[in-house]
Amino acid sequence: MSTSRSEPAPPVAALYFDGLSARAHAVTLTLDGATLHLNGADVSRSDALERVRLSEPMGQAARLISYADGAHAEVRDHAALARLLQDSGHRDHAFVRWAFDPRMVFAMFAGLLLAGWFAWQVGLPWAARMAAPRVPDEVVSAMSTQALGWLDNRVLTASTLSVQRRQTLRSAFDALAAGEGSAPRHSLQFRHGGRMRANAFALPDGTIIVTDELVDLAGDDDEVLAVLMHELGHVRARHGVRMLLQGSATALFMAWYLGDVSSLLATAPTALIQSGYSRSMESEADDFAARALVAQGRSPELLVSMLEKLARAHGESGDDGEGYLDWLSSHPDTGERIARLRAREFAVH
Amino acid sequence: MNNPFESSHVPQPEGNPFASAGALPQTEVLVFSGRGAEYFGIWIVNLVLTVLTLGIYSAWAKVRRMQYFYRHTTLAGAAFDYHGDPRAILKGRIIGFILLLAYNASFQFSLIAGLVVVTLLAIVMPALLMRSFRFRARNTSWRGLRFGFGGDSRGAYGVFLMWPALTLFSLYLLGPMWHQRLKRYQFDNARYGATAFSINAPVSAFYRVYGVAVAVFLLGGLAIGAFVWSLARGNPSAWIAGPFLFLALMLFIQPYLSARLQNLVWNSMRLGPHRFVSRVSARRLYAIMLTNLIGVVCTLGLFQPFAAIRLARYRLESVTMVCDGSLDDFVAGQSQDVAAIGEETADLFDVDIAL
Repeated sequence: MSTSRSEPAPPVAALYFDGLSARAHAVTLTLDGATLHLNGADVSRSDALERVRLSEPMGQAARLISYADGAHAEVRDHAALARLLQDSGHRDHAFVRWAFDPRMVFAMFAGLLLAGWFAWQVGLPWAARMAAPRVPDEVVSAMSTQALGWLDNRVLTASTLSVQRRQTLRSAFDALAAGEGSAPRHSLQFRHGGRMRANAFALPDGTIIVTDELVDLAGDDDEVLAVLMHELGHVRARHGVRMLLQGSATALFMAWYLGDVSSLLATAPTALIQSGYSRSMESEADDFAARALVAQGRSPELLVSMLEKLARAHGESGDDGEGYLDWLSSHPDTGERIARLRAREFAVH
Repeated sequence: MNNPFESSHVPQPEGNPFASAGALPQTEVLVFSGRGAEYFGIWIVNLVLTVLTLGIYSAWAKVRRMQYFYRHTTLAGAAFDYHGDPRAILKGRIIGFILLLAYNASFQFSLIAGLVVVTLLAIVMPALLMRSFRFRARNTSWRGLRFGFGGDSRGAYGVFLMWPALTLFSLYLLGPMWHQRLKRYQFDNARYGATAFSINAPVSAFYRVYGVAVAVFLLGGLAIGAFVWSLARGNPSAWIAGPFLFLALMLFIQPYLSARLQNLVWNSMRLGPHRFVSRVSARRLYAIMLTNLIGVVCTLGLFQPFAAIRLARYRLESVTMVCDGSLDDFVAGQSQDVAAIGEETADLFDVDIAL
């Protein structure tokens, strides 16, 4: 304060416009305590500093000093204006300082990436888990029908298993599922896998599809049933709906980011088909299957043996599946799942 | 002090720097001083605050973005400014969001509900777009005077309802005519202070620009088709090249249209006795847009602020004002407050109302 009084800041050159005409008045600005004086050849005014509005600094751009009556002054000598304002206690908004501070810009950028990663990894699965029970059944079954139709058109063909064989498996599965108490609505469908080969997957509405190749690969029906129980575990926990929600939310974000919302509705069924289950979902379904098998006096080894056979079948041809809700395309690798199942079996007995 | 207006005390009426030119018209170029690195800071802070506030800050973000671009645009030594009120813009965005939601959801519900909503939108949108023109103009200033827009709703229903319908029914043959009517509505009703803008771009000029674009599109499409077809006879995977070549063709046509239309509109516009010259080169614009696109794609969007600055600089600095008389002579018109609703709805529905 004392320095400003002993040597006052030099006047600042500005252009003044009265808001009534476009005429430019060359003026100078000086500050006297809390009063801003403006002086030119045929204009002069004095206003309390708190009554005028000073625009935020934006690089080279002129800073505008706006008066309440619509007049304003444009200042382009930023250094001189800064000297003038030094002692007035004027301070720019925090976000204005941020935008021009490289460290702050970098922190903002890092924060944005972190927030995005967190939302995707934690927020989205949590939101999907909360919302899954509230999704109307009609929507779920419409999506599932569409997804199965898509697969039927491109990959799957009619099953070549005998009607009798299918009937046997179906009733054994129903009996096993019924033993689980509150079994969710489900139905079992057989298809010839084609490119999907030995495989089984569950659609969000409870439709479980098993391929002829998987049935052939299994040593006996008990192994097939073990796989089906794993799928029933997915249905029961509504994993499909959750993945559908997560996939749709991601697709919505991408559509917004890339600027094409119209394509969104078309992508929802494909998002369902292409999404794999998360690691925890696979473990949850494995646990469900193991518990169901043990409860029925069977061994979780059935599932272990099937996992090994599937891994071998898919591994030998050098193809790790195309990711259509594929058992084996999901994150936990087969060895890890087998180890987990065996450890669990140990605990149960 | 160092007063540019007092220093030259030769016989000059009213110390006016522009009057000295006498009969010779004086030209003033638009100067844009925005810098990508600077705007990146504003952009990222806007983005982060918008995300953190679940979109609410976007209204304030818009004001800061507009102010950055306007204040860095200088004509005859004075900067433009943007005065939009963020709260008004937020209100408009909420209404726009609800309309967008209604539009997207109604067809899921039933066809009849969808048609009802579309009819309602058709009735509401022209009025909203008219307000958006008014809001944008009213909140733009230069040398302390506001711009203004006095278009009425009759005209709005003409250019935003009748002409689009006619264009559709004529299988787009009337498209260029619609565009001409739109520009006429936009600029014949615009004013700076109390001085009116006017535009006299003939319909034939719009047909010429669009005609070239359509011809290039058809010839290019045919050439691509023939090229890919001849390649694909030996090797069917060549079909994949088709969509990419097609995209390249569209990327080629868009800057052409954009450049020629900007030139057409500005070269036929007058503000009182003054006129404008716009010299956007389609080739330069193409180079800028293509490199911008590559930059944005390669950086997953982070180049966006730099791209926006490059494009704005070229398009703005291509415009010159040819002054007939003093720029000091403009006076203010009547003032009135305008809600932001129209402009923001137009933003959300992605209706291009630029230039």
